[in-house]
Amino acid sequence: MFKKILIANRGEIAIRIIRACRELGIRTVAVYSDADKNALHVQHADEAVHIGAAPPRESYLNADALLRAALSSQADAVHPGYGFLSENASFAAAVDSANLTFIGPSADSIRAMGDKAESKIRMKEAGVPTVPGAEGLQSLPEFENAAREIGYPVLVKASAGGGGKGMRIVWDANDLPEEIDAARREALHAFGDDRLLIEKYLPHAHHIEFQVFGDKHGRLVHLFERECSVQRRHQKIIEETPSPLLTPELRRQMGEAAVKAAQAVGYYNAGTVEFIFDPASSAFYFLEMNTRLQVEHPVTELTAGLDLVQWQIRVAAGERFPYSQEQLTQRGHAIECRVYAEDPASGFLPSTGVLLQYIEPHGPGIRVDSGFRAGDEVTHFYDPLLAKLIVHAEDRPAAIRKMQAALRDFVVQGVVTNIDFMQAVLAHPDFAGGKVSTRWVENNFNWEPPSSPSFESLVAAALADFTIVNRQSSIENRNEPDPFSPWKNPSGFRN
Amino acid sequence: MKIIFNNTTIDIVPTDASYRVAIGDKTVNAEILRADTEHGKLDLLLDGERVTAYISSDNARRWVTVDGQTFVLTKSSASRKSGSGHHHAAGELTAPMPGQVRVVNVSEGDSVTKGQTLLVLEAMKMEIRIQTPMDGVVKKLLVVHGQTVEREQKLIEIVDKLES
Repeated sequence: MFKKILIANRGEIAIRIIRACRELGIRTVAVYSDADKNALHVQHADEAVHIGAAPPRESYLNADALLRAALSSQADAVHPGYGFLSENASFAAAVDSANLTFIGPSADSIRAMGDKAESKIRMKEAGVPTVPGAEGLQSLPEFENAAREIGYPVLVKASAGGGGKGMRIVWDANDLPEEIDAARREALHAFGDDRLLIEKYLPHAHHIEFQVFGDKHGRLVHLFERECSVQRRHQKIIEETPSPLLTPELRRQMGEAAVKAAQAVGYYNAGTVEFIFDPASSAFYFLEMNTRLQVEHPVTELTAGLDLVQWQIRVAAGERFPYSQEQLTQRGHAIECRVYAEDPASGFLPSTGVLLQYIEPHGPGIRVDSGFRAGDEVTHFYDPLLAKLIVHAEDRPAAIRKMQAALRDFVVQGVVTNIDFMQAVLAHPDFAGGKVSTRWVENNFNWEPPSSPSFESLVAAALADFTIVNRQSSIENRNEPDPFSPWKNPSGFRN
Repeated sequence: MKIIFNNTTIDIVPTDASYRVAIGDKTVNAEILRADTEHGKLDLLLDGERVTAYISSDNARRWVTVDGQTFVLTKSSASRKSGSGHHHAAGELTAPMPGQVRVVNVSEGDSVTKGQTLLVLEAMKMEIRIQTPMDGVVKKLLVVHGQTVEREQKLIEIVDKLES
């Protein structure tokens, strides 16, 4: 087993990995940029190494700096987390060349699946159903011809991509040139690779993905699905398992296809095979494979009863994964809500600032994976994910109620969040009915924030201000302090 | 005493052991059960109903969370100017959020048409297009490629063709 692991990431996922290491008795090395000197993940780790300036390309995407940090701290393995270099085959290969262990699949598997175009070709060969589309196009006329053949709307996305970056839906041929330019630029900045592929866009589809897991001894299983159809800007905000749409038979078919897809690239460690699911026909198509730990892995952990991060580390160290497909079951229902610093009322634009208040909910069946605390600053350099709130309950209705209660207890002030927005989604009959497709937020959900503040909030704010004024004037008059003043220490309330 | 938040006047009158709070024609008897200044938490009894509020302050702004809902209020008073204070001219485009200028499509003096993408900002790995809301001419270009900009920072000024 490893003695020391370097975590090539930041925020909540770095902390999640540090916790797993601690339970396995492994020492941890955090890395940080200028902007993260005082970040929570740095404080959780046994050691921390500075790797560069705040922009990701100069720090968390800087493979050389990360390798130097791993070698100088004498780590024997590197966990990449998700995002950043987690799906970068060259980085995985460089880690191996430095005689360190990359906690994830082989560089070859990452390379095969990381390229969306190549992976689609490999999946077709392996007999896994794929979405109609075209790969390997260069010039604008080629894209225009392919789009015409497939039929609008089409989806243009980064070959090297993931996470909705470098992805554009194009409804009209006139918009194609500009959208391709934009997708190229986004792809280049996010992945350092501007190749794009194009495919048919299915507007009413659901996003259903399967967690797969393999060891280095040939065992490869799936750990059931996650329904991730509540999305905005092509990024997931609410995920759950089991999917309200799948029958046991569909689950079996899709699970088998997921395992087949992973086998086709000789996969081991944790991975996710994403499918587009058409509820009208119950047809499913391979979308892509994420060759890393997924943001929403906790819902699988809670229902399957496994610690995926600990197993990632154990199989990377050569241990066998002890459970066969038949031994794996799911229990209850789990939901994850991603609490983002963003404003749903203005196009989900990220919101930056200092967290004036940050109080997480607690209770049975409630888990919070977060990387922030009160007083921290949310900057524009990184993803605006504040925390993942995950609940586990007996069944779906109970899990929804638990999530609603937990979100009510989540207090974030100083940045605008999507908490109210997610409450509205959870309360919607379409969500209860499992009718939310990936385009639902955009097309069917007309959410607006309350037009005026509630009576109670105005009363509370006014009382808070009033009692401070009273307290201050009574000090000036050298009188006894206002007996009703709650503000024993006026400086505690930042005026 | 009168306090104004978001153009709503709240009138507070201390009584024996509590407060009468009036907003418009709605009045409530408010008792402060507990106040935790360190955490900005108030436990109130409003006409006998328990209400817990979390409050924080950021200059004239107040963040208030009651029953899971958060509101941002702006305080107006005699000593402070009311409202947001800044007013942008029609053709003055500002950054909707902090970020970096990734693309500059125009130069000063260029003619532009409504809806044209003038600049592209990148923030939190997303692209935000800055488009002109009107036909006109680029009078001032205030940023360069690669520059980091703050929220509300002026980026570019567009004027009517006649004005230029």
